[in-house]
Amino acid sequence: MASDFTQQIREKARELLEDGTVECVIGYETGSDGISARPAFIYNAADVERLVFDNTCTHNLVKYLLNKKAKSTAVVVKGCDSRALNLLLSERQIERDKAFVVGVVCPGIVESRWNERSEQLQKRCDWCRQHTPVVSDFMVGDPVTEQPPADFADVAEEEAKTAEERAAFWQQQAERCIRCYACRQACPGCYCTDCFAESLDPEWVGIRIAPAESQMWNTIRAFHLAGRCISCNECERVCPVNLPLSLLNRKLEQKVLELFDYRAGMSEDAPAPLITFKKDEKLGIAE
Amino acid sequence: MSENSAPLIIGFLCNWCSYAGADMAGTSRAAYPSNIRILRVPCSGRVDPMMIVKCFQEGADAVLVAGCHPGDCHYNEGNYYGRRRFALLRELLDFMGVERERFRVEWVSASEGKRFAKIVTDFTNEMTKMGPRKAS
Repeated sequence: MASDFTQQIREKARELLEDGTVECVIGYETGSDGISARPAFIYNAADVERLVFDNTCTHNLVKYLLNKKAKSTAVVVKGCDSRALNLLLSERQIERDKAFVVGVVCPGIVESRWNERSEQLQKRCDWCRQHTPVVSDFMVGDPVTEQPPADFADVAEEEAKTAEERAAFWQQQAERCIRCYACRQACPGCYCTDCFAESLDPEWVGIRIAPAESQMWNTIRAFHLAGRCISCNECERVCPVNLPLSLLNRKLEQKVLELFDYRAGMSEDAPAPLITFKKDEKLGIAE
Repeated sequence: MSENSAPLIIGFLCNWCSYAGADMAGTSRAAYPSNIRILRVPCSGRVDPMMIVKCFQEGADAVLVAGCHPGDCHYNEGNYYGRRRFALLRELLDFMGVERERFRVEWVSASEGKRFAKIVTDFTNEMTKMGPRKAS
């Protein structure tokens, strides 16, 4: 199946580059360890043979469209990635007619490390309820029936602790954070040219090395994605100290679903919960 | 400021209703604890969640945001946007160990001086009972 996907992607990429529909195809190629995929930027039809698709294609390539705003670009997206595309479209960060979307019905992505292949499915794939891309111009694979919504067992487990234990837990995580901002760089929803993390006036996140500053960063990073996070979990994957960032994202995802019945990136038109309101809604605030 | 400054509560009051309400509490001689440190903001919708997180980060025991009643916002809809944000923020804070009781949102109009004093008094008592925050 994977080789069939690869073949279809290559053929489509060749066609798009040859007829000039796009200037570049963003897809995956095999990395230098010969195992894990890495992002590939293909500008010439002669290079399409580099493109592959297999279960190590973990990156959310939609992020790269933010650097390709001027020229037409094709991008390979999985189900989760396609939600990021809708997110960026709804926030007017990219133009739909400049992006050619090659959607791939996702077979599930495995944990892969440098030089080692594993068959362990990533946890996001356990939660995933969007294997079929929600937006595409060309579909690779047959759309599948999605499972009913996942529960939030990991969130519930954390909530079973006392507030004191939770505070201690996140304090420990903050102590480990090196504030490299890899989580931000990998996130398709984090595209502000001026991030609060670098703001000096006001200095929201101080430059001193202190857990309190990291705590501030991690809390606000999560909150800025409230109702926007599309659960690709790239932030957690790229974290060099393995902070459990998905817990924060999923806590908010759960609450957004509960309060606003909203899942980010499912359509281009539905307004994100924090840019709209209903006058008579009951949210448990000052009632 | 007071003989007993704990718990420390930061209060964000909107300029048009709640700050005037606090003023009303003063002019009508309704006493309330000085544990609250009041910051005047244009609108409850102006209160950036970052400000609230920062308060807790810098050692506040509790945060109160007060704004115009829904429907009475001077800017028509600032408090509606705020309400959504605060509802989510309170969940996130609680999840990270800042108990939900420590972050309170109230709607206080300019005429509700006595009510403002009561809110602050009750909040202070509740926070005194809860004690200081365990970890930052």
